[in-house]
Amino acid sequence: MTATPPNRSGTVFIVDDDTSFLQSVSRLLRAVGYTVQGFVSAQEFLDRLVPEMSGCVVTDLQMPGMNGLELQEALRRSANPLPVIFLTGQGDIPATVNAMRSGAEDFLTKRAPKEELLAAVERAFDRDAQERHRRERLRDLRRRFDELSERELEVLEQVVQGRMNKLIAADLNINERTVKLHRTNLTRKLGVQSVAELTRLVDEARLFGSPSGNRIN
Amino acid sequence: MIFNESKDVPGNIVLEQAVRAEMQKIFANRIEFLDEYLDASHFSDKEHFRLFQDYLGEKYAGQKLDLIMVFPSRDYRLVTELPDALFPGVPVVFVAINEMEVPEAKSKLGVTGIVQRFDLRGTLGLIMHLQPDTRRIVVIGGTSDVDRATLGRIAEASHALEGIEFDFWTNRPIAELPRAVGSLPEGTVVLLSTVVNDVNGQTFYMSQLAQTLATAASVPVYVLGGWVLGSGAVGGSVVDSDDLGTRAGQLALRVLGGAKPEELPIEVVTKGTPMVDWRALRRWGIKENRLPAGSVVRYRPQTLWEQHRDLILISLAVFLGQAVTIGGLLAQRRKRRWAEAEILAQRMELAHVARVSTMGQLSSALTHELNQPLGAILRNAEAAEIILQSDQPNLEEVRAILADIRRDDKRAGDVIDRMRTLFKRRSLVSDRLALRNLVEETVALVQPDAEARQVKISGQISPLLPAVWGDRVQLQQVLLNLILNGMDAMYAIPKSRRLLVVRVREVKDGNVQVAVSDCGTGIAPDDAAHIFEPFFTTKPNGMGMGLAISRTIIEAHGGNIQAESNGQNGTTFTFTLPGMKPEKSKAGDLPTPH
Repeated sequence: MTATPPNRSGTVFIVDDDTSFLQSVSRLLRAVGYTVQGFVSAQEFLDRLVPEMSGCVVTDLQMPGMNGLELQEALRRSANPLPVIFLTGQGDIPATVNAMRSGAEDFLTKRAPKEELLAAVERAFDRDAQERHRRERLRDLRRRFDELSERELEVLEQVVQGRMNKLIAADLNINERTVKLHRTNLTRKLGVQSVAELTRLVDEARLFGSPSGNRIN
Repeated sequence: MIFNESKDVPGNIVLEQAVRAEMQKIFANRIEFLDEYLDASHFSDKEHFRLFQDYLGEKYAGQKLDLIMVFPSRDYRLVTELPDALFPGVPVVFVAINEMEVPEAKSKLGVTGIVQRFDLRGTLGLIMHLQPDTRRIVVIGGTSDVDRATLGRIAEASHALEGIEFDFWTNRPIAELPRAVGSLPEGTVVLLSTVVNDVNGQTFYMSQLAQTLATAASVPVYVLGGWVLGSGAVGGSVVDSDDLGTRAGQLALRVLGGAKPEELPIEVVTKGTPMVDWRALRRWGIKENRLPAGSVVRYRPQTLWEQHRDLILISLAVFLGQAVTIGGLLAQRRKRRWAEAEILAQRMELAHVARVSTMGQLSSALTHELNQPLGAILRNAEAAEIILQSDQPNLEEVRAILADIRRDDKRAGDVIDRMRTLFKRRSLVSDRLALRNLVEETVALVQPDAEARQVKISGQISPLLPAVWGDRVQLQQVLLNLILNGMDAMYAIPKSRRLLVVRVREVKDGNVQVAVSDCGTGIAPDDAAHIFEPFFTTKPNGMGMGLAISRTIIEAHGGNIQAESNGQNGTTFTFTLPGMKPEKSKAGDLPTPH
């Protein structure tokens, strides 16, 4: 056995209405070293979902009530969009396509080799960690952008589009010096040195809906 | 036609018939035959003869007769006196069976006749032919002149047979003879000559004597005259009575045609024909293939064919007609049976196909159901392997795992069993069935599929139901079909409203009713009349056989099936099966405790 004990924080949340299968997967993942929590329905899991829960979700595709795909959708809309690994009793092609389109981490049959399952869980954990990190950064950025005044945001929007101070001043019907002052204040508040850095930050925070370069004037 | 003896003497009957037949060839029905019998063998006294003559005189007074034919034997007054006395001028033709008895070979005025001469050489030849081992011939004869003359001729003929001992028993009283012939050794035969009277002067009639001797004798008895045949003797080379009669008839015709009798010489018929009694041949074990060519076998029992030819033919025709009719009907019936069997076979085949296609619909759901326990087994086994690799393996856990593996294995087996009964190609099997179990099992079978389709199935089953008699697999097929149809019907409605209700309850007359209600789109009124017809379908990929087969199955179970609309709320399919009378409860069968 070449099971690599995962030495990291996070829990595998398993959702399956078949208690027998639920128990067997839980046993395996526990034996390998994961922390595991089992749920017999999607709803039960969602009811207990909090943002602090990290790791991934392993769910059955077909379940009475809310099925696997619906669980994935609900997770995606939630504050804690954990990666989802689907386990299914059959290779249902339309369901697979849907699941992958919705960003399923993996789609495995219930009798897939253990190595595939463990690899999928590892990948999901990695992705969750990255996503979590990204979300953390984004929250931090958003906090920083929140410090900007209304006028500063207006100026920022035009700056990241590469417009000259004079044009910005004319557009906003203010003095060019005032534009310069706003630019100094917002770079200070955001802690950036250059316009290029500023642009990257705005893109990352998706401040204006879409990446600035694609904005059509 | 005046006969010396009674009308029952076989030889005379043949003779008379031959005479008549010959004469009718010319006269057809324009000739009338009147028969009279003296019956001298029973009534031999002179008084009887006078009475007979008086009777005939009275009877035929004033009648015009054209010809008198006399069949005399011994008493030639019938030829010489009686016709003269009663019917003067009427020509007389006599037919005599022993040349020796005819007193005058010369024709008397108005009288002619035909006589038989014994074919003695022929008879002796026949004896040697049939019984080549014969060493001794016992000749029984009488003492009268006629008898002596006949014996003389036999003695004459005997010279032709060398090495055969001839024993002439002429001096023994006839009364002693039955006893004497009863103990004759093998290699001996008896030849009965004529016995007009014996040594004691007693008179005898040949047919009676022949019968007495033939019955008593330990060896075969042969005779000289055809008229004695039938009395038990084997036979002899005799003048055929038929032949004699025919020639007598021809003679009579000549007389009727105007020939003067006295001018016609008395004819002597000598040609003998080997003639035997079939019954006597059998009695002595003489094979028929020993008979010389041209032999006549008399008294052979007619075969059924000979006796009842017409009846047999008619019966056969009727029978054949009936047989053909019955055969036709049977063939028709068999054809119908075959057709029915064919239809049933096709139905079974179709039912199988439908079942397999139903299974096709279910198979993805069933695969899921199978993969569930199999997946659990795999995961458990993998977990156990990892646990056992650790330094201090938790054996309690491993034990729990093994128990779970066993449980899941059984689960998988159950799924396979359920599938197998559905896939099996089979003939009808009738069992006592509890519909409750059947419905529960069927719902369990479709449950995975229902989950995949987000359909909730609700069972409402009465706790106390009469059993039904039927084929489990076929009834399950009907249920499956109705449930799958119901789920199909709810494809287009919101998930939250996808509810299928299976209701089982007892209805009137102890029948059991199963109702499957969906909340689907319902059946278009135009379609409602056709849904049970074969090949009617509203589904793009439907075969259109499901409901047709369902109806066939239900009706074969003595039930009926129908569909009704739930207004805007889908459709209910209902089938009713005859319930069985409840069995006596177990408690009722127990003896009452004292």
